[in-house]
Amino acid sequence: MRARGLLTAVLVCAPLLGGLVPSALAQQTTPDSGPVQSITVTSTRDPVDKSYRKMIRGMERFEREHALAPQAALRFRLLPRSPNVNMHGITLKVVGDHITVPVPVAEDNSFVLPRNEQALREDAAVLANRKTTSMTWRAVVMTPGLPPGTRRLGDLRLECLVGMEAGLVSNSSPLFGWISNALTTPEEVCNNPDGNFLFFTERPLFSVTLQSGNRIEILPFHMLYAGGDQTRDMLPYCDCQVLLDRTYYAPIWDRSWPDDTLVSFEYMEDPQ
Amino acid sequence: MRLVLISAVLLAGCATNGPEPGKVVAQDRFEQLVVPGRTTKAELLAAFGETKAVVFDSGYEAWLYESDAGGGRHAELVLLLGPDGIVRKMRRRPPYPTDPPPR
Repeated sequence: MRARGLLTAVLVCAPLLGGLVPSALAQQTTPDSGPVQSITVTSTRDPVDKSYRKMIRGMERFEREHALAPQAALRFRLLPRSPNVNMHGITLKVVGDHITVPVPVAEDNSFVLPRNEQALREDAAVLANRKTTSMTWRAVVMTPGLPPGTRRLGDLRLECLVGMEAGLVSNSSPLFGWISNALTTPEEVCNNPDGNFLFFTERPLFSVTLQSGNRIEILPFHMLYAGGDQTRDMLPYCDCQVLLDRTYYAPIWDRSWPDDTLVSFEYMEDPQ
Repeated sequence: MRLVLISAVLLAGCATNGPEPGKVVAQDRFEQLVVPGRTTKAELLAAFGETKAVVFDSGYEAWLYESDAGGGRHAELVLLLGPDGIVRKMRRRPPYPTDPPPR
């Protein structure tokens, strides 16, 4: 994949080079200068495309920590990040230097990532047919049989660990990605009250309640809507940009709440 | 130094700076005056004044007031206002023993 990245850089920089050395490039493109070599670029890798190796590491983490959600399977899911992205008809593929593996995407934009040794060796990327920055990605760990409108805290703990290990959370800016990566190991994020790992509900949210046995607590306001402090200027840097009313923090770091704690949602609009 | 400063600003995008409190009101008066399905934004502002609020693209708004719960602690009084400016839902969150100490 390094070669592809380099090719991308050259393609991006070509117009600039053209401005610097116009005569040399012009000579190469005249009809009389002999056969012109052509190359086919099947895909280009964005600096913030998802790394196949990282996502596989996330899947391996899921297997290691499966005790947090023993009944659950792992999927990944694409979610909207920019206001105008079309979330219908998304296609996904794993692309290496010499291999392309299509990945079926379900109606809800979730998918299972296949394991492919050649793609691993080639440090492949996981590419969607959308601009990378138009979507955000999450792991989905869902214990079957839970009541509607509820999640299980152990599932959310595992979603955080897998999501961080897999490098799914989109950064504010690729330029500063290395800094945020240095500050955000899965353990730092998922076991810390200041980890700020965002979860999203299916519908706009009014209230979140935790229940474990007789202990019942409503989440405080600052754990909804990404803290409730996002301004219009700040939102584009958050992957909650268009999901703000579906965003909450869960107390995944607080071990006084066991994994079987039920997280219940009251939505802004009640079902008809 | 400038790079570090810019980075900090960008990285702060999804971070929170500690909860900003809502305006403290008298709970009795609040519960008397606020009726979901009837109370309007204008009536809230007239009775209690502005407070911390989150406005969503859908037109819904979530407002946070607080009431004194004793011992320096506060209960949260959270309102959901519809796009028509009428209170749709209300909830009270008491302080819990496991909450961090009062600010």
